[in-house]
Amino acid sequence: MEFYTACSKKRPIRLSEQTRRFAMESLQGRYGDDAMKTPYVEMSEIPGFSELSHQEQSNAAVLKLAQEAPIRICEYESVSGAATVGHGMRFAVPAYYNGKPILDHISHLTVDFMTPVRLGVDYLEKKLDDRTTGETDPVKLEELNGMKVVIRALRLFHGRYLAALKDVKPENYENLKNVPFRPAANFKEAVQSLWFTFAFLRLLGNWPGIGRIDLILGEYLDRDLKERRITLDEAREFLAGFFIKGCEWIESTPPRGSGDAQHYQNIVLGGIDEEGREVTNEVTYLVLDIVEELPIGDFPITVRVNEHSPERLLTRMAEVIRHGGGVVAVYNEPLILRSLVRSGYSEREARQFANDGCWEVQVPGKTYFRYVFFDALQLLLNDTLRLNTDEPAVYDDFETMYKTFLSHLENKLEEIYQGAIDWHLCGDPSGRYWRRGYASSSVSLFEEGCIENARSYTSCGTKYVSVSPHIGGAPDVGNSLYAIDRLVFREKKVSFAELMKILRNNWEGEEELRRYVSDQYVYYGNDDDEADSYTVRVIDDFAALTEQFRGRSPIFFPAGVSTFGRQIDWLPYRCAVPFGRKKGDILSGNTSPTPDTDFEGATAVIRSYCKIDLLRQPCGAALDVKLHPASVQGENGVEALKGLIRGFVRLGGFFMQLDVADANALLEAQKHPEKFKTLSVRVSGWNARFVTLSDRWQQMIIERSTQKKV
Amino acid sequence: MAERDMAELNIVKIQRFSTHDGPGIRTVVFLKGCPLRCRWCHNPETREARRQIFCRENECVGCRRCEAVCPVGAHRFDGERRHRFEGDRCIGCHRCVPVCPVGAIEGVGRTVTTEELMKTVLRDEPFYGQIGGLTVSGGEPTAQAEAVLCLLAEAKEAGITTAIETCGFFPERYVAPLSEVTDLFLWDLKDSCSERHRAYTGVGNETILHRLSLADKTARGILLRCIMVRGVNMDDRNFEGIAQTFRQLRSCIGVELLPYHAYGGSKAQQLGGVDNGNPEWIPTDEEVENAKARLISLGCRVI
Repeated sequence: MEFYTACSKKRPIRLSEQTRRFAMESLQGRYGDDAMKTPYVEMSEIPGFSELSHQEQSNAAVLKLAQEAPIRICEYESVSGAATVGHGMRFAVPAYYNGKPILDHISHLTVDFMTPVRLGVDYLEKKLDDRTTGETDPVKLEELNGMKVVIRALRLFHGRYLAALKDVKPENYENLKNVPFRPAANFKEAVQSLWFTFAFLRLLGNWPGIGRIDLILGEYLDRDLKERRITLDEAREFLAGFFIKGCEWIESTPPRGSGDAQHYQNIVLGGIDEEGREVTNEVTYLVLDIVEELPIGDFPITVRVNEHSPERLLTRMAEVIRHGGGVVAVYNEPLILRSLVRSGYSEREARQFANDGCWEVQVPGKTYFRYVFFDALQLLLNDTLRLNTDEPAVYDDFETMYKTFLSHLENKLEEIYQGAIDWHLCGDPSGRYWRRGYASSSVSLFEEGCIENARSYTSCGTKYVSVSPHIGGAPDVGNSLYAIDRLVFREKKVSFAELMKILRNNWEGEEELRRYVSDQYVYYGNDDDEADSYTVRVIDDFAALTEQFRGRSPIFFPAGVSTFGRQIDWLPYRCAVPFGRKKGDILSGNTSPTPDTDFEGATAVIRSYCKIDLLRQPCGAALDVKLHPASVQGENGVEALKGLIRGFVRLGGFFMQLDVADANALLEAQKHPEKFKTLSVRVSGWNARFVTLSDRWQQMIIERSTQKKV
Repeated sequence: MAERDMAELNIVKIQRFSTHDGPGIRTVVFLKGCPLRCRWCHNPETREARRQIFCRENECVGCRRCEAVCPVGAHRFDGERRHRFEGDRCIGCHRCVPVCPVGAIEGVGRTVTTEELMKTVLRDEPFYGQIGGLTVSGGEPTAQAEAVLCLLAEAKEAGITTAIETCGFFPERYVAPLSEVTDLFLWDLKDSCSERHRAYTGVGNETILHRLSLADKTARGILLRCIMVRGVNMDDRNFEGIAQTFRQLRSCIGVELLPYHAYGGSKAQQLGGVDNGNPEWIPTDEEVENAKARLISLGCRVI
């Protein structure tokens, strides 16, 4: 039994044969297929359901799911509980009415798992009761009641598992008996508590991130190790069960699309705690051991790295990264902390940062989050240059053109602000009125502020509310501006009008000129200060424009840079671009260089990206760095990866994912998908088994992984 | 030092993020000119000290602008507008390089000052950590020994770790000054058998071994790098010789095997010569592993 690796060195074996076998069958889709046998529960069976209020319908769905979800106990599972209703994995609350979804699912958040593990759900129930006492506002009472129903459903679901486990798996029964209602007493209970709460939330149609698992579990393991209640090997074996159970939403033949492992189960490791102490502990290393051995990409991991991160941590990260799959990414902790404080969080709260389940930074368990994306390249091509009309624009000088672009960018931000923020605030920026969102009691229970305010997550009851504008295609805008500036204004090889005509004709008949701009100019990503300055300027100006909205309302409006693969969705709306690419060519993803324009290697890519003032992108700006397996082989490969990570932090990067992939292996996987079932790749904030990506997504990954021949 | 700052080097290219030419992340400067003529040469563009061009005929769009500017008629076009570049005629004037509209012609060889090189080297300083740094490679760096000594000294002064890749065929007087400014010698040991060495590289290995033993007295570190050419030097005669050398050296940190590859051939072709890559010479992974095992059994530390 062997799991795919991009590395010439095989994956190490530390887990038992039965755990490895459990992982393999889970990765091959056994449990995902099983869940699809019960795709949803049918709400029309409840008399009068359609007459219920939206919140009441949601309450009924929560209870019905807890009551009817099939119980699954796997032979080798260490932790119990499962999200066994199939359409939970399809962007839906799997409680349907006449076969149709009626309730909205929630993702892009990491809830507070620390409270159920450390204090228990009973503590939350008490808090709810206290809050309800004396409350008379019917809406607030309805919200509070919704959360109480969730606890009732959790008890029901929990009881069903206890009954099923008691005789067949007494050890699991013991570990589950008290949690998540009471505080976990030891490491095993803590893992079980975390898993059960997580599985239950997923069952109800939510996709929360996990957050800082080493912070949540570390103290328990530490204590158990000291008191010799557990060995490290036993703890690894037990925790591996958590990760393998986390693959229960993998199907053997899932529909192909943007990848199958994207349920936003992100994990954050390392970094400092609220007091400023380094968190990295034995749990951190066990997690890395597990994903080094098993190619589980379902929990994308990001490590918070700072200048004092332990050497061992960097070494272990590098050793995992070498196997490919992009399972471990990097946050530059000091920069992110400064960025969060700068945008209004206290130092202590900033130190709690994790992400929304993808890589967008947030303070978990107390933040309502959403992001609104837009394609800046379409703004440039269609608004500024008007290339989608019969009369494209003509500019006499670069600065006039650029200022026009900025005004379009500003309009776009205003539109996003109006659309999203005014909506939440019912048009009143004072924050007195919050529009009531769809029912979200289950996640609200685990978000600070929702009980206190008696307002749900989707009604922005959380302590913080954050709506983030995300610019996409920024490096393509930078490259386009650079090509126009040089070709038209400085070298005067063609007039502005001629270039517009050429672009409208998709470079047809202009191969020589096209090759000239595409091959003779150096673009963003090669550490060329002149070329980089255009992309840097675009992104920094975007930050400055976004900051103008600061203080206009209680909602945070943090800037971010992303595409999350949308660069392929945008292709039909983009014409040919000035830097020599034709319509339909796959362009830049996130903050990364446009494919096939970077040829100076990883250090140059990182340096180019770090010229951007990333402090001003508090939501995050992702850099994808592609590495050929050969370049990180052997002992020196580990040293090289550590060097890249350290340099990234020193130079002021934000978020970096290192993809070790061989384009040839990916091409091989396209031809023989059956042989590459466990080959996982990082897509953006998520991972996917390569074979579950559709052709165009596969193509994007292959192009990104192809090394330009120098 | 002031005088030394003015030194110039004739280089082919600077490669950043190299992970194969010394420890950690390194910036490698490939210099032009080599006294050896290895038949398996991996970097034929670094052999001649003179400037040359790479002409990628398959990328040519047939505009014939290179033909028009070439003073010696090195760019030829036959009836079907097929580009034929004759490297022997080329004088390396590089007039054709900027006129090619599609970048199919690339200049090989340019002069840069050590100061400019250091600027590039320092760009990646945040990535080097304790072990990464500058590697001077070639060609044979000692063919430009004075300037190379300047560059290495400047790097040391800037706190950058240094390595030099050498075939070891250089005048004795450079041994001591090189040791002073070099943290690690990547020393080629192409064949322990001198006759074979002469037959395949043009020179015997006596000078090389002599300089190696001299360098060993003062060097901070030496890594032996041994090319593995199937059917040529992958035999016990070579392995035993390598092991013997390894054992005799005080400062040798190990032996690295470099399996022959045939990519040098296509570069030779782009230089206007013939593709002399020899697929027969490429060892299999298994053969390389066997060679490693043999060397380990002979007491070598193989990296």
